[in-house]
Amino acid sequence: MIKVNTENYPWHPGMTVRALLDEKLFTFRHIIVRVNGEFVPEEDYEKQLIQDGDDVLVLHLMAGG
Amino acid sequence: MERNLRKIERYLRNQDAISLEEQANLATTRVIVVGCGGLGGMVIECLARVGVGHLRVVDGDVFEETNLNRQLLSSTMNLGRSKTLAAYQRVLAVNPLVEVDTVQADLTDESALGLLADCDAAVDCLDNIPSRLVLQQAAKVAGIPLVHGAVAGWLGRVCVIQPGEDLLGLLYPEAEEAQGEEQQMGTLSFTAALTASWQAAETVKLLLGKPGLQGEILEIDLLRANVDKIKIS
Repeated sequence: MIKVNTENYPWHPGMTVRALLDEKLFTFRHIIVRVNGEFVPEEDYEKQLIQDGDDVLVLHLMAGG
Repeated sequence: MERNLRKIERYLRNQDAISLEEQANLATTRVIVVGCGGLGGMVIECLARVGVGHLRVVDGDVFEETNLNRQLLSSTMNLGRSKTLAAYQRVLAVNPLVEVDTVQADLTDESALGLLADCDAAVDCLDNIPSRLVLQQAAKVAGIPLVHGAVAGWLGRVCVIQPGEDLLGLLYPEAEEAQGEEQQMGTLSFTAALTASWQAAETVKLLLGKPGLQGEILEIDLLRANVDKIKIS
C-alpha cells in the first residue's frame, strides 16, 4: 500500500510514477510529483519506481489569483 | 462616544464568533494584501468587514475586460483604472474605520521587505510564481506569517506559511515556470471567492492566535465538491 496525498492506494511491483498517474487519471499538463518529499521531474516519470509504503504527493501546479 | 457605539453596532454580528476583546485586538492589526485581483479583492472585502484595523494593498495593475468574470473590485465602470484605488474606495464605502495604504506598484525584491516590515501578516493573492517566491522570502525576513492562495479553474489551494518554512518551494519546484494550470483552465468567480474567503479566515485566526492550518495544504476541488487537507511532513 502507498499513500497518495490523503488516501491509501494499492501498490504493485514495478509501479512507476507514470503508471500511478495514469491509474489515478491525473491528466493535467502541469503536475508536481514528490515521492517521500523528493521532487520527481517529468522526464523521470517512466523510470522512477515507487516502492511499497511510499508517500506520494501529486499536486497541480497552479498560481492564478 | 457616538463613534464607539457605531463600532459596537457595526460588529454586533461578529459576536460571539469573535469576542469584544478580539474585535478590539483586530482593530490594532495591520495586514498586507499583495495582489488586488480575483483573490485579493475578496480577501480585502472580508478583512475590512470583519474589522482588521489597517490594510496595505499592493498591485501595479489596472482593470481589464478579462477581469470582469471573477474580480470583485472590477466593474464596467472602472476598466482601465487602478486596482488599488478600487480597493481603497471599496473599503472606505463598507468600513471607514479601516485605514488603507495603497501601493500602486508590483512587488519587487527591492520593495518587498519595506512593505512587509510593520505588518502582522501577509496575504499572497498574486498571479505568478516568481512574485510569490519573492513574497515568501520577504515574509521570512520580516518574521511574519504568509497566507498563500492560488486558483486554477475549479481548483483552489490555501496554506499558511510560518517564517522559515518553504511551502512555496514545495509547490513551485521548477523555477523557470511562471504560471500553472490556470493558463489552460482559466479562473472562475466562485473558485476565487471561496479560496479568498478561506485565506481571510486563516488570516484572522493568525491575528487572533487561534489554531489554523499548520504544515498542511488545503486542496479545494469545486468540480468534485471535495476538500482535502494534505499534511506536509
